[in-house]
Amino acid sequence: MYPFDYKLSLIKLINSSVSSLPRGRNNAKGPSTAVSIISFIYANMRMVHVLTSVVGTKCDLKVKNGLIYEGVFKTYGPECDIVLDAAHRKSVEPNVGPRREDIVESIIFKSSDVVVVHFKDVDLNYAKKDNFTDSAVSARLNGEHKEKDLEPWDGGEQHISGSMESLDTDLSNGWDPDEMFKYNEETYGVKSTYDSSLSSYTVPLERDDSEEFLKREARASQLAEEIEASATYKARVALENDDRSEEEKYTAVVRGERELHSLNRENKYIPPSQRNREPGMSWGAGRQNSPRLVQCSPGPPAPRSGPHDYNAMDQRVVNGGAHPWPSRCPSPSSRPPSRYQSGPTNSLPPRAATPTRPPSRPPSRPSRPLSLPSAHGSTGPLSTMPKRLSSEGPPRMSPKSQRTPRPHRVASCRGGGPPPPDYMSQGASVEVSAPPPTRNSSSGGTWSSVVSGAHRPRSPRQNSIGGGAPSPSCLSSPQAGTVPVDSATASTTATSPTAANPATNLEASPIEEAKESRVLEMRQNSPNANKENVKPIEASASIARSIGKGVMAPDHRKQIDNLKKFSVEFRLQSCSNPDPVFEPMVNKTPRDLVEKPKDQSTISEETSTAVSITPTGSKSATPSLSPSSAVPEQKRGPDVTSQGFQTTSSLANAAAKDKDEKEEKNDPVAESVRKSTLNPNAKEFNPRVFCSPPKPATTPTQTRPQGQPSPSIVVQQPPAVYGQTMFQMYPLTPVSPGVQVPHMTMSQTKPYRPGKVPNMPQQRPDQHHPPGASTMMHPATAAGPPIVAPSPAYSTQYFTCSPQQFASQPLVQQMPHYQSQHVFSPMIQGSARMITPPGHAQPSLVSSSTTQYGEQTHTMYVSPTPIPQQFPHPSSTLHPHPQHPQPSATPTGQPQQGTQHGGSHPAPSPVQHPQHQAAAQAIHLGNPPQQQMYSALAPTPPSMTPGPNPQSPQASFPSAQQAVYIHPQQMQHGYNPNHMAHVQQAHMQSGMVPPHHGTPSHPPTMMLMATQAPAGPQPGTLNPIPVSSATHYSYTLTPVQGHHQQQL
Amino acid sequence: MAAPGPGEYFSVGSHVSCITCLGQRLQGEVVAFDYPSKMLTLKCAPSSGKLNLSDVVLVNLAYVSDVDVISDRAETPPPLASLNFNKLVNRARAEKEDKLSQAYAVSAGVSVEGQQLFQTIHKTIKECRWQEKNIIVMDDVVISPPYQVDNCKGKEGSALSHVRKIVEKHFRDLESQKSVQHSQQAQQTQKDSALSS
Repeated sequence: MYPFDYKLSLIKLINSSVSSLPRGRNNAKGPSTAVSIISFIYANMRMVHVLTSVVGTKCDLKVKNGLIYEGVFKTYGPECDIVLDAAHRKSVEPNVGPRREDIVESIIFKSSDVVVVHFKDVDLNYAKKDNFTDSAVSARLNGEHKEKDLEPWDGGEQHISGSMESLDTDLSNGWDPDEMFKYNEETYGVKSTYDSSLSSYTVPLERDDSEEFLKREARASQLAEEIEASATYKARVALENDDRSEEEKYTAVVRGERELHSLNRENKYIPPSQRNREPGMSWGAGRQNSPRLVQCSPGPPAPRSGPHDYNAMDQRVVNGGAHPWPSRCPSPSSRPPSRYQSGPTNSLPPRAATPTRPPSRPPSRPSRPLSLPSAHGSTGPLSTMPKRLSSEGPPRMSPKSQRTPRPHRVASCRGGGPPPPDYMSQGASVEVSAPPPTRNSSSGGTWSSVVSGAHRPRSPRQNSIGGGAPSPSCLSSPQAGTVPVDSATASTTATSPTAANPATNLEASPIEEAKESRVLEMRQNSPNANKENVKPIEASASIARSIGKGVMAPDHRKQIDNLKKFSVEFRLQSCSNPDPVFEPMVNKTPRDLVEKPKDQSTISEETSTAVSITPTGSKSATPSLSPSSAVPEQKRGPDVTSQGFQTTSSLANAAAKDKDEKEEKNDPVAESVRKSTLNPNAKEFNPRVFCSPPKPATTPTQTRPQGQPSPSIVVQQPPAVYGQTMFQMYPLTPVSPGVQVPHMTMSQTKPYRPGKVPNMPQQRPDQHHPPGASTMMHPATAAGPPIVAPSPAYSTQYFTCSPQQFASQPLVQQMPHYQSQHVFSPMIQGSARMITPPGHAQPSLVSSSTTQYGEQTHTMYVSPTPIPQQFPHPSSTLHPHPQHPQPSATPTGQPQQGTQHGGSHPAPSPVQHPQHQAAAQAIHLGNPPQQQMYSALAPTPPSMTPGPNPQSPQASFPSAQQAVYIHPQQMQHGYNPNHMAHVQQAHMQSGMVPPHHGTPSHPPTMMLMATQAPAGPQPGTLNPIPVSSATHYSYTLTPVQGHHQQQL
Repeated sequence: MAAPGPGEYFSVGSHVSCITCLGQRLQGEVVAFDYPSKMLTLKCAPSSGKLNLSDVVLVNLAYVSDVDVISDRAETPPPLASLNFNKLVNRARAEKEDKLSQAYAVSAGVSVEGQQLFQTIHKTIKECRWQEKNIIVMDDVVISPPYQVDNCKGKEGSALSHVRKIVEKHFRDLESQKSVQHSQQAQQTQKDSALSS
């Protein structure tokens, strides 16, 4: 026995010698030679098979120098190197086992050193997989299962005699009793009789007069009577003695007496159809009647009711199936539908389209639809309308959408919200509906054109309407006609980029929605609306996430609400399919891109509220749609800014202007309405949002479209919708970089205004918030535009980016995030503003705002880079953040926006850079407001917001943005994470759970914390964090804050 | 070595004989041949004589001489069956643990008889192990040196009686093996010898 060391050295020698040996195989050893390696042993099927089949067996391996090693064959290398486990050098003594110290864990023998490897007594079939072959299966059966041998039948002599044929001719029914008796007597010697005493089988009973016997006899007779009297006995006897044939008893068709009589008479079967013809037959009529009755009753009812029902069902189903988006939109739109409904009809179908909802909902929907139709008054759409309504209803109804929305709604804007939401929803629905129309087909082409026109008109209408209601109505009306078109266009767009009209329509609608959303937000506390919107969005996002990426949702959802939403959303997601249509639209064209940006912007809008969205939307929309429109919007924007509050809007100004205008318009009218309807709106928005997110998730390109949808969904919520619309508009702007950039700049300038914001705050609540949102939106839009400009690619990029950031989060989720983010940003801004102005910033609101901010930031990030990611985060975060985080979120949200924009811009494309910058600037602008907001919210706010915010923020933002640009994806990711982390941290600090529930107070703290932290964890570092959505959120928040702080 | 053809130098299924550089003569059916590595796998008659088993020899043709193809394959080789790799891995692990556990016993100074007995018992009862120099079977029966039937102790029962039977048979086979070496009548003995070899 050699010492262990000796063996080792020996092995080394062997190895060295092996390696030194010139071998062709050696060439293949390098990693790069993997292919060549494969050409060696591993390429030899039979060698691989035989060697593998002996794995785990003991073997004796002889090396060149004559030594023999025994071990367990572990494996073999590509060059046929042999690996033995527990190997030892065989000693000369045969029967002495190896000592422990003689055994080497494993030895690798170079094939060049191996002379012979001897595997003794190996069962080569040991590892054969033979579980499903015929032999393997049959082997498991118990007993013998071999097929029985077939034997020829021998009829014997009887066959010859022909007895077999008698069966056919013998009419007798078996043996005659007498024959049986005779046969038995002859064959067996038994004589049978009819003697009932059965003397042959028993003995007669001996009767006596004893009392005992009588007694027993009496007893027996009594029992006999009882038995014979029993119904059971009678029944059985009757059975036994029944002369009726089995056919009569069990299978015969019993006819009425008349028939029986007739039958008896005729004894002939008369087909029912001919019976009528038989004149004079008293019972003939009866026959006829019966047949007729049968036919008529069954036939008519089934066909009539059935067909109708089926048709309805089919349509519904079709709608549902056709328009995933619609579903979302529907939900959002559903509420709006009633108002917008006519327009939404298209959207409605999509909603109906939502997979799950359609079936059950259809019924319920009608009621809703009815109301909606009545409101809108569009009959044509009715069918679709109902669906939409139902879809809308369903969305609401749908646990996910509704639930999520509801909570949000409740939290944010219940009061004013309702109407606006409806409008928003309608708008969303319309957009959503668009897909359905396409499905519907015929109207599709015209619809698209109409829609485009309608949408544009709508925007005007909205503007004209000023209030949310008008816009809604406009939207609705346009939507009704346009909606279908939109949907159709959307679908078409989705199918083909060309659908500029759809995009425009969408944009317009989005704008309107954005306006609505803005209005809502403005009214309220836009934050609430935003929150609500955001929540829905988040929910949708979450759904999308869940759908796309189940994982993401959970993380983000950490909050129960989120979870619930998700669940609901999930359902919605299915519905979300309709959304895809929207997405397609977005993707299809620059518009699509724009839309995507819009989505982002919408998200930002949501976060920042309508204001930011509007700017972007207006920009994008105006560019794509028409410069003039953009100009007006800008003008409007200024007005708004002048009005306002909206220093933030000032930031977004240009973009915001439109939004602002919208908002303003909305604000006046809508605000009041919104207040009343806010809740509804919020809900609606939520659903839509959800829908939209899912869409993004569904497909990268689609996702963006989805994003749009989501925006649209957001839009559905009055505030959100507006924001969304705005966003969409933004996307358009993105299409035309030049235009956008200016807008962006405008927006940026507006951001500077933020300084005003402080003052604005109070006003902001209504308008200012929107402005803030607008500012936010602007950034988003800016970011969005670039993205949009990239168009599908961008959107895809965004998606991809976002996914990366979120990693787990699906595109869809991202979309949601975007929306949510947007919403949040608006919300945040609003909240921040709200916060600053005590009145505005209500505790609850603040909290929500903070959460929203966080979300917004997320969204912002998302929008910049991959929308999807942002969406996801937003959605996840949004849900939670919307209400809770808002305070903290706002800060982060702003940063996020900035970062997002930056990120998005970078990701989108070089071209976008200008835009991006603009966007970034806008973001900065938006951020400044947010910062201000934050400052307001947070302790430091004052310093932060006042001076630095406007200017410094921008400056700082630019840098930040640049950084973002550099690391678009990463930055975004990082930001998001950071933000998330910050948020979480903030929450943690506050003691509140990161969850979105963070109370207002928390948010501020959060903000502060975030701001502090942000500096440290900037995009680059933060990026890693993204792992958990929640963390991401926090990170994003913090980073943003950090940026803000830094900037500040 | 003569340069083999471009394709297979040895066709699967053909019978080949050769002599290694160590003077060992090998003969068997070609199962696989890898030209690049010059590795030839032969399936030979089982050393234990069991028909369902076979010996597999992996030969490095670089160290072989007198290669002679006795008969070429006539038919195409059968298709390869898929393998249950988990089963193989488990077998490898079990074999390794088995060997290591025996090595521990050897290290502990267990006599050859004890080792052989242990292997014999292990064939029947997997649940046996070394404890110092004692063989523990099923945690119930302890067989202490010199490992005779009388050394089997434990709770009276089927387990003890069963182990005693095994031990008894082991030594009986051992005796028969000595008397008739290499006789294949006593599989038990053969197995023992195979294991011990």
